[in-house]
Amino acid sequence: MDPKLAEVSQLFERFKAACAREDVDTCCNVLSKLKVLLTGFSSLPPLFEDTPNAIHELTLARDIYEHAVLLSVKIGDQDAFERDFFQLKPYYTDASSSRLPPSSQEYMILGLNLLRLLVQNRIAEFHTELELLSSTALENPCIKHAVELEQSFMEGAYNRVLSAKQTVPCKTYDYFMDLLAKTVRDEIAGCSEKAYGYLSVSDARQMLLFSSDNELLQYIKEEQPEWEIKTGQVIFQKAKESASCKEIPSLQLINQTLSYARELERIV
Amino acid sequence: MAATMVSSAGALLAMLNESHPQLKQHALYNLNKFVDQFWPEISTSVPLIESLYEDEEFDRHQRQLAALVVSKVFCYLGDLNDSLSYALGAGSLLMSLRILIMFILFLMCLNFDHLRSVVDIFKFAGASLVCLTFLFLFLTSAKAIDEYASLKAKATESNAEAANVDPRLEAIVERMLDKCIMDGKHQQAMGIAIECRRLDKLEEAITRSDNVHGTLSYCINVSHAFVSRREYRCEVLHLLVNVYQKLPYPDYLSICQCLMFLDEPEGVASILEKLLRSENKDDVLLAFQIAFDLVENEHQAFLLNVRDRLSVPKSQSSEMVQPKSSDPDPAQNNSSTASEDVQMTEGTSASIAIVQETDPNDAIYAERLTKIKGILSGETSIQLTLQFLYSHNKSDLLILKTIKQSVEMRNSVCHSATIYANAIMHAGTTVDTFLRENLDWLSRATNWAKFSATAGLGVIHRGHLQQGRSLMRPYLPQGGSGGGGSPYSEGGALYALGLIHANHGKGIKQFLRDSLRSTNVERFIYDSAVAGEAAGISMGLLMVGSASEKASEMLTYAHETQHEKIIRGLALGIALTVYGREEEADTLIEQMTRDQDPILRYGGMYALALAYRGTANNKAIRQLLHFAVSDVSDDVRRTAVLALGFVLYSEPEQTPRIVSLLSESYNPHVRYGAALAVGISCAGTGLSEAISLLEPLTSDVVDFVRQGALIAMAMVMVQMNEAGDSRVGTFRRQLEKIILDKHEDTMSKMGAILASGILDAGGRNVTIRLLSKTKHDKVTAVVGLAVFSQFWYWYPLIYFISLSFSPTAFIGLNYDLKVPKFEFLSNAKPSLFEYPKPTTVPTTTSAVKLPTAVLSTSAKAKARAKKEAEQKANAEKAAGAESSSAATNTGKEKSSSEKDADSMQVDSQPEKKAGPEPSFEILTNPARVVPAQEKFIKFMEDSRYAPVKFVPSGFVLLRDLQPTEPEVLSLTDAPSSTVSPAGDSATGQQGSASAMAVDEEPQPPQPFEYTS
Repeated sequence: MDPKLAEVSQLFERFKAACAREDVDTCCNVLSKLKVLLTGFSSLPPLFEDTPNAIHELTLARDIYEHAVLLSVKIGDQDAFERDFFQLKPYYTDASSSRLPPSSQEYMILGLNLLRLLVQNRIAEFHTELELLSSTALENPCIKHAVELEQSFMEGAYNRVLSAKQTVPCKTYDYFMDLLAKTVRDEIAGCSEKAYGYLSVSDARQMLLFSSDNELLQYIKEEQPEWEIKTGQVIFQKAKESASCKEIPSLQLINQTLSYARELERIV
Repeated sequence: MAATMVSSAGALLAMLNESHPQLKQHALYNLNKFVDQFWPEISTSVPLIESLYEDEEFDRHQRQLAALVVSKVFCYLGDLNDSLSYALGAGSLLMSLRILIMFILFLMCLNFDHLRSVVDIFKFAGASLVCLTFLFLFLTSAKAIDEYASLKAKATESNAEAANVDPRLEAIVERMLDKCIMDGKHQQAMGIAIECRRLDKLEEAITRSDNVHGTLSYCINVSHAFVSRREYRCEVLHLLVNVYQKLPYPDYLSICQCLMFLDEPEGVASILEKLLRSENKDDVLLAFQIAFDLVENEHQAFLLNVRDRLSVPKSQSSEMVQPKSSDPDPAQNNSSTASEDVQMTEGTSASIAIVQETDPNDAIYAERLTKIKGILSGETSIQLTLQFLYSHNKSDLLILKTIKQSVEMRNSVCHSATIYANAIMHAGTTVDTFLRENLDWLSRATNWAKFSATAGLGVIHRGHLQQGRSLMRPYLPQGGSGGGGSPYSEGGALYALGLIHANHGKGIKQFLRDSLRSTNVERFIYDSAVAGEAAGISMGLLMVGSASEKASEMLTYAHETQHEKIIRGLALGIALTVYGREEEADTLIEQMTRDQDPILRYGGMYALALAYRGTANNKAIRQLLHFAVSDVSDDVRRTAVLALGFVLYSEPEQTPRIVSLLSESYNPHVRYGAALAVGISCAGTGLSEAISLLEPLTSDVVDFVRQGALIAMAMVMVQMNEAGDSRVGTFRRQLEKIILDKHEDTMSKMGAILASGILDAGGRNVTIRLLSKTKHDKVTAVVGLAVFSQFWYWYPLIYFISLSFSPTAFIGLNYDLKVPKFEFLSNAKPSLFEYPKPTTVPTTTSAVKLPTAVLSTSAKAKARAKKEAEQKANAEKAAGAESSSAATNTGKEKSSSEKDADSMQVDSQPEKKAGPEPSFEILTNPARVVPAQEKFIKFMEDSRYAPVKFVPSGFVLLRDLQPTEPEVLSLTDAPSSTVSPAGDSATGQQGSASAMAVDEEPQPPQPFEYTS
């Protein structure tokens, strides 16, 4: 076996062991070393050179990045998740044309990514990712779960979103589901701000899906400091003053259009 | 395994965010590799990469790499300034990376300003390898150089020090230049040096090249084609002249061309003098050749200056000066026939007489001086041209006859159009047979028609310097007595004299001035406004290119006067004064184009056209296009489009593309302008695109557009035959159809008549040429066409087109400036360039209801026999023409067939359609060589004569390789033996003129009179 490859494999074993021990610091250190070592292989993306050990190297590298993604979920580092996921992606999308066998973790990680996008409210990217998936992938429970969540989210069926936490296909999803609950709450808060001038504390609690008034009060204190609480009422400092829609300068527009037409006629 | 390609740069971009520097480096390295593919993705992360570049802790090499990536992305995004600033940051990496070719190609496509230089490169770099290397070399720093050049340009314009130029930029540019020079890529080095205003480097590049002469001429071309600032161009040319003069064997021809552009007659004069004083005869020949080349540019003031600066041999300076100072002697004028025209010869004969007593060297010099002065004054070339045009005249009278028959009697427009067509067809040939034969018909001309009929004589006799006056005498105002002639014909006669002597005024000026004074009352009785207009134009003509303050004076006057015609005349006059001044004229143009008065704006368009004539200056084109679509006055829009033709005549291929949209405009004036613009700039080129563009316009719905298109088409197709482009034949038939069609509009009919005139202009031996062989503009030709395009307002201005005609002749001259007989080769099928066949179409012959119809049919029969068809037809035609005239005699037959035989010298290979056509043709000096034919001309190896400088057409001085043998001269006998064909038929006054024949000039035709 290639000495370089052997070194990486060895290091990777150490990494896995650290993971099992939940020793996050060691994990991060070893991972960083692993990544640097991986840059030495020309068979990996983006070069995809056809070296004798290509398959082996690709598989190993993919494994490392998959672990990296899972690690980032574990430590709740969304940036790291994004970074690692993007580096992992070419192994799924581009390497499939080579003899690399598909990974068992693939759909789980893709689903995680979708969930992340949903949590970060990056709906456009969410759909972009979705479009890139094959129809078989869409049938996969991990993906399906994310898609359904997105649908409920868009419909405003927030209760379904929250109840979906019970049906997660995989334990790693919990982290994002918790985050999603918070995203949902923010959405609701945003909506009620627009919809109501004020709400009674109990109504607000129900609305924002809190189980106790204390939780509500703490939430308001942390997230929505501009809300006021007076005599059992939550008063939204919504854009009451928001001016009515600006009037369309119709006459000016008509004039302009006409003069364009005239100019056009002159030019041709 | 199928090659696996990465589909996104996302992974690399993500890697940039990693904390470990080695990962960042890896990402950057790979990004740089894939930037050409993924720049859209990368562009979103540019700030990130920028921050890497700015990161002080980062390795220097990495930072440069980051800069390179950013630079490339910006380049793709079209933001070249940012691209450049990062490229500078990339430093040495920029030069060493192979992939940059991709980057460069994009740079090229993104920046249209570079297209020109790129095209230029392709043109000059022959092999593809050279091409690629050059592309790489030039364009890696193209933007850098551009930036540098523009900074330098700004610095020179504001006279500031170039201190604020980025030293990094300077370093790149210098490295490029040195590299080019080292690699022997001198052309590239010169190009860059010129762009960057590094004259020091330019000089270095030139002197270090192996072929200094070639490099220099390349440099001259480049400076004319691409240096848009006149001032700077002068600087470059100065440098070139300096370099030239340092050479051991200077190329005097090129130096003199440069000096002419710089307007330095002293330099030219001293070179000429040096050559003339040389022992070697070849040097003298070279001097003559230089003189002829200078004359071709028609820069009269300059020529006169040169002539006056040629020092005279000592001991006779006083004599030489004396006759000149007495030049404007009024006593000699009016009645006496011995005019100032001969003065030159008088003066010189006197000087020769004196020289005989002095030093023999001086005598030889004086003799040579006489010759060169003759050349410089234009007399020699005019005389030779005249002889050529006369002896080679192949105009087809049948066409005119057809036109005459079909034109309605009462339609004066078509009537005068026919007269114009005749004049143009015979311009410079001195053949006025048609007029003589149709005196009755001619006499229908009244008023202005009469004016133009008389003036037409001037066109026909153009260049007939010696005889001009006596020829026109019957029509000129007679002394103070007032005579019987109508003011119109007198006015016409003066106009005619002007045309005859165009650009070679000298003697005639005084006469014109006198007669103007004496006939003031008469001449100006028709409309003072017309006079005003004429005065405006003529002021302009007198001050062509002078850019004097008079222009602003004229402008003020134009504001004061009420009369449209005067304003128009003045506007055009002002436009003429700024001829060729380029940037210097900008203020005046600005003033005119912003004026309230559309007529002045119209003049502004002309000013733009003439100031930037033939420069293809982008700014001028932009301005003209702007006016063409945005002005409220149709006149201005039409003129703006038309003016494009003048600006672009140096690059005729461009014009059809630029005006193609305009030619589809809804506004007929714009379409008309587009047609003429193409006509002007593509004149005589026969450019296929131009013809395609004009074709639909010739059947436009608006009559005057048809007229313009027909005229323009004729200008484009002049001298082409069907073998060159089959559409010529179609066009000829179309013209005939329009002329014969009773229901056609007068306007388009007139256009068709004029078009047939232009198509066969000057006896089918001239073309319209606005550029001389050395690519300088021909002042007279350009001005002539500019005034011609005014015929919209006043038809007689049509005659100005004759100023733009230049004979398509190869005329070889020996040391004595005589035309020796010798043969040379045209390496192409004769049918490609032969004269169009004379018309023998049945419809035309049957239209001529004459008893001679029998002859025509027999001609047809013979034509079918395919044996010397052309010759016969000619003879037949001539015979037919004669029988229609009042008197017939045998002597005439003889003379005309003699004439035919004479002209057949050219077609030494009689057409034999049975056998395969020969692939070459032997021409005899002097011969007709059409522009398209020039590249096929070769001298025979065993020829007795060798050219001083090989040029395929025009005047060529020949070195006699066997000086001891007697020379056979051509052109000398023909005119003296052939008396004017119609001599006997003319009424009265004959005989007197024949006595005045001077030298080998053809006999002046007898004056004739038509009664009104």
